[in-house]
Amino acid sequence: MTTRFDMPVVGPALQVRFPDIARETQPNGLRVWAVPLPVLPVVTILLIVPRGSADDPTDRAGLASVTADMLDEGAGMRDAIELAAAFGRMGTHLEIETRADATFFSMTVLSRFLEPSLALLADIVRQPRLAPADFDRVRDLRLSRLRQLRQLAASVADRAYVSAIFGDHPYGHGSLGTTGSVEGISLDDVRSFWARQFGPGGATLIVSGATTTSDVVQAASVAFGGWDATPEPRPDDAAWTVPPPADARILLVDRPDAPQSELRVGHVGPPRSTPDFHALITMNAALGGQFTSRINRRLREEKGLTYGARTSFDLRRVAGSFTCETSVQADATAQAVADILVELEAIRGASVLTTAELAQAQASLTRGYVRNFETSAQIARATAQLAVHGLPDDTFDRFVPEVDALTAADVHDVAVRALSPAKATVVVVGDRALVGDSLAALGRIVAPVTVDL
Amino acid sequence: MRIDVSKITLANGLDVLVHEDHRVPLAAVSLWYHVGSKNERPGLTGLAHLFEHLMFEGAEHQPSGFFQPLQEAGASLNGSTSPDRTNYWELVPKSALRLALWMEADRMGWLLPALSQARFETQRGVVLNERRQNYENRPYGLAQFALMDALYPDTHPYQWPTIGRPADLAVATLDDVRAFFTRYYHPGNASLAVAGDVDTREVVELATELFGDIPAGPPVPPVVVPPVSRVARRLQLEDRVELPRLYLAWISPALFAPDDAALDMVADLVGNGRTSRLYRRLVHDRRVAVELAAAQGSRELDGLFQIVASAAPGHSLDEVEAAIYDEIDRFVDDGPTADEVAREHAQAEATFVMRLQSLGGFGGKADQINAYNVHRGVPDSFDADLGRYLNTTGADLAAAAGRWLVRDRATALAVVPHGRGDLVIAGADRTPVRVS
Repeated sequence: MTTRFDMPVVGPALQVRFPDIARETQPNGLRVWAVPLPVLPVVTILLIVPRGSADDPTDRAGLASVTADMLDEGAGMRDAIELAAAFGRMGTHLEIETRADATFFSMTVLSRFLEPSLALLADIVRQPRLAPADFDRVRDLRLSRLRQLRQLAASVADRAYVSAIFGDHPYGHGSLGTTGSVEGISLDDVRSFWARQFGPGGATLIVSGATTTSDVVQAASVAFGGWDATPEPRPDDAAWTVPPPADARILLVDRPDAPQSELRVGHVGPPRSTPDFHALITMNAALGGQFTSRINRRLREEKGLTYGARTSFDLRRVAGSFTCETSVQADATAQAVADILVELEAIRGASVLTTAELAQAQASLTRGYVRNFETSAQIARATAQLAVHGLPDDTFDRFVPEVDALTAADVHDVAVRALSPAKATVVVVGDRALVGDSLAALGRIVAPVTVDL
Repeated sequence: MRIDVSKITLANGLDVLVHEDHRVPLAAVSLWYHVGSKNERPGLTGLAHLFEHLMFEGAEHQPSGFFQPLQEAGASLNGSTSPDRTNYWELVPKSALRLALWMEADRMGWLLPALSQARFETQRGVVLNERRQNYENRPYGLAQFALMDALYPDTHPYQWPTIGRPADLAVATLDDVRAFFTRYYHPGNASLAVAGDVDTREVVELATELFGDIPAGPPVPPVVVPPVSRVARRLQLEDRVELPRLYLAWISPALFAPDDAALDMVADLVGNGRTSRLYRRLVHDRRVAVELAAAQGSRELDGLFQIVASAAPGHSLDEVEAAIYDEIDRFVDDGPTADEVAREHAQAEATFVMRLQSLGGFGGKADQINAYNVHRGVPDSFDADLGRYLNTTGADLAAAAGRWLVRDRATALAVVPHGRGDLVIAGADRTPVRVS
């Protein structure tokens, strides 16, 4: 008989049914995808131009993001301030985000502003002013931002890590570039990048929320129908050779007197298109993707060495990465690195996931999946994954059954294949005088490095 | 923008608020305890926040801890502590609503039997690492500590950081934690909100069943607030930073007090975003600053209005400061333009609608309903709150700025790179500021 103190039992996962996407392609090649939703009177607008920091010329790291910064510094009839004021009158502002594979322009507005906000967005991508005075200011602001980041341990660690694992690959630099590379960027570079890389062909406009397909198609046609630029074809992905995992090294960036050490441990990984997607996500949930995962349990909940530790697969278009990231108290740096490496090894063999751990990971992912599709912005972001990675429409509907179907063998196999602790790069941003010797005792080569920011 | 909220108060004093929204099959649970770092005392700071950590370590009938059953049920969950309150939330598929409420009830009623010295010490270590990560090892991370220390007398409830002082955390004991729980964590000092694909009657029954047998607690002792000096201070702090940064801070109206909303709008117009007056002047036109923000941070006992700007390389904080006062004077003298006021009204409307898109999490509907209930006693205050913004005129904005943003009452803090005392503001007190 149950009592007041018996923990309630919950039901099975809800099957997620992603809303229908209505698609139309304009004569100029722009894909217009509408996702009407029964929500509050708001729409999320997301324009994806499939060019990003991976398209930076090798000697111009940061060019894609500087170009993105320049686009809303004046366009059409409006200067930078007037553009911001025009968005402000609709109670919104435009976010522009440069990632490795694509540039995202996004905003959420009251539905009644769908047309005028699309018109402003169209001005920004079609007729940016790219004026010299704005460029000087934007570049100076970028240089100041890079300078500020030198003191942010997490940014220093990210930068060192990305360079180490991807090397000369187009994914091997931060989207902001470096002081040196940004100083080398000219306004002509920006104008040329915009002219060569931005166009309707291959771009996708997503509108989700309280609207109709015909309203979206109509407003998009008015705003973008006359966009006639033809971007250069993207280089063949196959030409991008992903470097093999580097030799296991510990890269130590000195941060004197730092009370914590910022850590990154990991290596290159598969792209989003991997057939292992569901197994990777599930294995990661048990390893380090959640609060109760092995690594956070060990470093935080058992030892109290950190505010939190997590692992993730960053699954990009051409390749990806697996990373454990955390910031640990300085005197426990080597211990934390050792613990992380032990956990990465354990899940591959010495201590495979128990039946209970696997069931917990599956249950949390499948039962919690419905939480990802609540707001218009969440639906737009999900739809964007389909656009960027060319995924089928049933991608989200398949998630719950695919994760449910995984066996212990599937998850173990993927851990063996996708984790390479013996070859993992370790980045430590910490007090070298304090942590250097204990790191050396781990038996890996410790290489002091500096970071270009 | 009416939001239907049913409110009942159980016999033990627990407020239960329910809002039905059937768009998605989710339920959001939010539980506020009306206790924060303002209820601490000097010498034992950080206790409210450390206690929040312990709430996630499991209660008597949760042998596998607090997180695991909820994660397995598909929940996302978290909590936070401010000077005024501590909040906890779970966003769950609707079939897990009973579990989420049961878990919250169990830790409200039966936390102490599960508390152990080991759990306490581990979480103390975690909190010290949270402090290192978010404040000590972060550029400008100590600035707010220095400001609060300078603005308030030692016994003022907003004088110390919510994360606590390391020396205080070091001497806190398990007995302190038990006493804290007994004093503050009981139904009469809490407010429970549920929003989502739920049935109001069922939720009320569930809440009554699961929380109704938790005994009412003692009345919460009032917070004693000593008088605050309005004498402006000028301070400097050397830190591991690249660019000098100026913080200007004024004591301002409390949450929902007159002028609170007006100052929120003034902050936008003066210092937030590209269209703000200071951005145009300092960043866009003259290029003497590179980072800029302004905010009316309103709390229960009083507010704090802040303007923060980093000087561009080669420019001084004195230039930045002079321009800030100049723009405030112009704003007070001439008032905002009609277009500025229209933008603020449009922003308020859009923000209020967009905030209603999320049921749970920090700032989701359940959290907002709880905030209104705890601070105003009326859970459906959306229209009243939005009205504060829409009914504010340009003349109101200029008057509010004139009343509160008085130069002689601004406390100024310059954060400069180590060894670069030459970059500090004019007239700064050279004695090192306290940042514990």
